[in-house]
Amino acid sequence: MNLRNIEYLIQEAFVGIWRNGVASLASLSTIALSMAVLGGLALLIAGSHRFVETQLANFEIMAFTSQKASEQDAIKIAESIKKIPLAQSVEVLPRDKEWENLKKKLSSNIDLAGIDNNPLPYAISVRAKDSRRLEELAQKIRGVAGVDDVVTRDQTYGHVLAIADLVKILGISAVIVLSIITAFIIGNAIRLTLFARRHEIQIMQLVGATNWFIKAPLIIEGIVLGALGAVIAAGIVTAGSDYVAHYVLTRFPLMMRNISSGITLQAFISTLVCTGALIGAIGSFFSARRFLKF
Amino acid sequence: MIEFCDVSLVYPNGVEALSNVSLKAAHGEFVFIVGPSGSGKSSLLKLIYRELLPTKGKVIVAGQDITKLPNKSVPYLRRRIGVVFQDFKLLPNKTVWENLAFVLRVTSVPKKEMGQRICEALKLVGILDRADSKPLELSGGEQQRASIARALVNNPPILIADEPTGNLDPETSLGIIQTLADINEERGTTVIVATHDNQVVDRLMRRVIALDCGRIVRDQESSTYHVTQPESLCQSELAQY
Repeated sequence: MNLRNIEYLIQEAFVGIWRNGVASLASLSTIALSMAVLGGLALLIAGSHRFVETQLANFEIMAFTSQKASEQDAIKIAESIKKIPLAQSVEVLPRDKEWENLKKKLSSNIDLAGIDNNPLPYAISVRAKDSRRLEELAQKIRGVAGVDDVVTRDQTYGHVLAIADLVKILGISAVIVLSIITAFIIGNAIRLTLFARRHEIQIMQLVGATNWFIKAPLIIEGIVLGALGAVIAAGIVTAGSDYVAHYVLTRFPLMMRNISSGITLQAFISTLVCTGALIGAIGSFFSARRFLKF
Repeated sequence: MIEFCDVSLVYPNGVEALSNVSLKAAHGEFVFIVGPSGSGKSSLLKLIYRELLPTKGKVIVAGQDITKLPNKSVPYLRRRIGVVFQDFKLLPNKTVWENLAFVLRVTSVPKKEMGQRICEALKLVGILDRADSKPLELSGGEQQRASIARALVNNPPILIADEPTGNLDPETSLGIIQTLADINEERGTTVIVATHDNQVVDRLMRRVIALDCGRIVRDQESSTYHVTQPESLCQSELAQY
């Protein structure tokens, strides 16, 4: 296929869209609506995922030194913990401040006024680079010399981890299922466009056009319609999410801190457009096959 | 040029369109396939350009058994066969010129050659002055001429016409069939015409293959649409009286 042919095929794709205006418009609106639903869902799932992951990242491990350990020892132990590749932030907590806090906390139940010396060991707070490998990190910290005890909030952490996994699995499954449904809907819409052009396709076959010569403009048409539909969908979803964000912000101001999807507008639009173009290409490819005998 | 060897064609619904058909058409020959509707004329033509595959037998075109042709090679076979239809099958959104250019583009003919070839084909069928018209702006006869020009523009050695005069008045029909005869004589193109129009067959007096219920019931040189008795037989019969 030479350069002149490629130029001709691209030109034919745009001429095809223009000449079959009504069918193209029908495809475009179907694609836009389907992609808006898919994009909206993806954004919602990304938001939920980020929210749960943020909660998960807040979990920390507390490593305690022996009561005899000095501040210098605690700093040395913290240095050793920092060398563990999984450890992200390591911080020796101020022992005196912790003691004051504890005294205040327990003051209504126990009188600690008689204890002069601070009996607390040094506590080292550790956060993991990967919050899902918290237990693995805890095991490694237990092996560090000078560490007396390691505490993780097992139960709560387990629940949040389970929720995070569930959100991830449900989200991915929903996006996959909806993508397949969207591909079918778009495939059918493109099939309608092709049905309007079946005589043209038949003539092309009869005069000796190769299958790729017939398919290429149709696939380019699918890509253009898919991408255009996705741009419209991105507009709908962006405007819709702004409205939802405004609604949530005015009613639940505290929630908003963590509810952002973490996806930039450019990344969202480009992902949606690429997905639209890909689904358009695949839909056209399979629909065109139906009209080509071989 | 074209050979059918014991060809049968049964459609998936069980209808037998052709039954043990054997025939040969030489290079440069003009052949009429005649018969009533449903006799298998169109099916026979479709086997030549591989629109259909026979249930049994061989179809040889230009020395090649096209029943064994891989699907990807079918477009290249079709570039060597021009096809003309009763309903013209022109692209309604394109002008006559664009309809012809489309065929040349499909077959990757260089742009500088296109104009010359299109002019030649339109001149041959006598509608060069209608090159810029769209099919619906043309009369039935002109549309069929455009369709013939499209079939010819690739200079195919074989031209197939399936009821080319089916939608036309008798006078226009004779003009169309004369054009096909001229192409056959001037270019040496093998022309196969399926028709049930007795007037056009009688006018040209060419080889006639008659089909009935998917079988060849007559294959006669220089014949009319209906059975003509060989001259010798007529004389011998006359001699009896």
